[in-house]
Amino acid sequence: MASQLLPLELIDKCVGSRIWVIMKGDKEFSGTLMGFDDYVRNHTKLPKILLNGNNICMLIPGGEGPEGA
Amino acid sequence: MENGNPPQADGKDPSGFLSDIIGNNVTVKLNSGVVYKGELQSVDGYMNIALEKTEEHVNGVKRREYGDAFVRGNNVMYISADS
Repeated sequence: MASQLLPLELIDKCVGSRIWVIMKGDKEFSGTLMGFDDYVRNHTKLPKILLNGNNICMLIPGGEGPEGA
Repeated sequence: MENGNPPQADGKDPSGFLSDIIGNNVTVKLNSGVVYKGELQSVDGYMNIALEKTEEHVNGVKRREYGDAFVRGNNVMYISADS
């Protein structure tokens, strides 16, 4: 079987680049992914925030939010 | 998957960020939309938060002030450093 990239490995590759986070409700965030932990608590910057992973629905690498899409 | 791991630098997990902003003014937004602004005293692995000189804002309007406030982590959407 070809080597497969696990979902969290994909997010690990996104550290340092732009990411678009879509939450369970209507909320969305975009920013530079500074890091994350085992709960997928994201840490984006400008202004730096620590985003709780509880309500995250989807992470889109390279995303600039709805305007960029 | 370890928990409560010591804050140390692989530069990727958020613990360094948290230790950087302890003592600073922060904005904490809850899932309900209510916002608390205050001086960050401490955070733990559940995102439980202790704030001092806290202001509670509802729909952008200041509602109350608290000298000391504890916010249970399950309600927290994000912690943002005011700078």
